[in-house]
Amino acid sequence: MLTLTSIALLVTMVLALIRAIKGPTVYDRILASNTLGTKTVLMIAVLGFIVGEPELYIDIALMYALIGFIGTVAVLKVSEFGDLGQAQSTSDGEKS
Amino acid sequence: MRDNPVLRVVAKIIIPMILLFALYVQFHGDFGPGGGFQAGVIFAAGFILYGLVFGTEALRSAVPPGLLRWVISLGLILYTGVGIATMLMGSDYLAYGALAHDLIHGQHLGIFLVELGVGVTVSAVMVTIFLAFAGRNDP
Repeated sequence: MLTLTSIALLVTMVLALIRAIKGPTVYDRILASNTLGTKTVLMIAVLGFIVGEPELYIDIALMYALIGFIGTVAVLKVSEFGDLGQAQSTSDGEKS
Repeated sequence: MRDNPVLRVVAKIIIPMILLFALYVQFHGDFGPGGGFQAGVIFAAGFILYGLVFGTEALRSAVPPGLLRWVISLGLILYTGVGIATMLMGSDYLAYGALAHDLIHGQHLGIFLVELGVGVTVSAVMVTIFLAFAGRNDP
């Protein structure tokens, strides 16, 4: 059962990866990489149950979820403003 | 990005969780995955998210760069201070067993203090690196 779940997750990750590579716009790529991150969280949790130490791997999955959100925000900010440090949107962003 | 309500609210909800999880990784490192370096990086990630959403100026006012340099030095002094304290107590450098009367208690205390020093230094260094890269266009 767990093997089937992990195979299904891997297929979904490959599909998201294909979209991230082919994606015509940057939003497709960001959405695909975000999906890939979510699937990675699930994969780590399933892997914990396969290995038999779920309490250890749940910590890693939680941390991956928290850090992946920060990565998505950073990529979005760079693609929108071209700068990581700006606080305000468009008017400040086009200046730099 | 400060005028985006979704991002602002989600960041304000998620930043305390990141900081709490960093403390968990720091203090639970004996029994699970983690330790000083990882906890420091996660703790700094919370501040980096704050800097991303609210701008580096807000991050600078929250954690002044001068304070960050003090904190970097504080962690290093804590690390070497434990080592020198064990030397002064008649043992080798960073031989934690000499810190308490019991060997196991001394090792617990020594590992705790050394990992705390590592975590403090790493988090301050990570925030400094983020400020140096993301805030290079600031006036």
